[in-house]
Amino acid sequence: MAGPETDAQFHFTGIKKYFNSYTLTGRRNCVLATYGGIALMILYFKLRSKKTPAVKAT
Amino acid sequence: MNENLFTSFTSPTMMGLPIVTLIILFPSMLFPSPGRLINNRLTSIQQWLIQLTSKQMMLIHNHKGQTWTLMLMSLIMFIGSTNLLGLLPHSFTPTTQLSMNLGMAIPLWAGTVAMGLRTKTKASLAHFLPQGTPFPLIPMLVIIESISLLIQPMALAVRLTANITAGHLLIHLIGGATLALINISAITALITFIILTLLTVLEFAVALIQAYVFTLLVSLYLHDNT
Repeated sequence: MAGPETDAQFHFTGIKKYFNSYTLTGRRNCVLATYGGIALMILYFKLRSKKTPAVKAT
Repeated sequence: MNENLFTSFTSPTMMGLPIVTLIILFPSMLFPSPGRLINNRLTSIQQWLIQLTSKQMMLIHNHKGQTWTLMLMSLIMFIGSTNLLGLLPHSFTPTTQLSMNLGMAIPLWAGTVAMGLRTKTKASLAHFLPQGTPFPLIPMLVIIESISLLIQPMALAVRLTANITAGHLLIHLIGGATLALINISAITALITFIILTLLTVLEFAVALIQAYVFTLLVSLYLHDNT
């Protein structure tokens, strides 16, 4: 099981240092980013549907 | 015939009053509390069985996980005794009710998840992404792992409900078939009766196995989160 002591064996640079599927931190950040992305999508579609009316006024 | 098949699963009443709570509490009266240093034979056997089960089940856990020993031992004893008592003719089995099994599964599962999120938040969140996942598959796998986590309590409850209900229904059906065949063909009735006996033996095993499986899975969820 990956832990803080095994995370040290991976040497990533750039964005991969924070978003990868090998280290504990990377995996956690990917999971949080996925949930955040889903939440943003839901928020976007909720707010968008309020602006567009069902029937256009003539 | 149809009406008789499902009446054993309805909430039991006695003189108009619901007695389901009494039935749920009844198995606890069959387990005497060990009050002395050296107890009688029944209590000693009970103690030995509980110690055997708790050692086998709790050995894999660390100190934090072992604080759940009482909860898990009570759970296996309750489900096991309830399932076995349900094999008595004309009795009501609380574990055939999905509501009751969900009432056991959801709080226990939620407790393990909450414990994991509280004690090791990083590792609990990281569990949603298997190590070594290719980059393009990450969002999909996170969603799949989240769904499989949320399905766990449902699977726990439905597994127990379906196994016990199906067993009872089969016994009811085959018992009815045996009775109906007695006047038609004695040999066929005898064969059906042998099948019924074997099924009853199987149901005894299923009653204990399902209790063990339920408790073991909760124990495994706890192990993943401690």
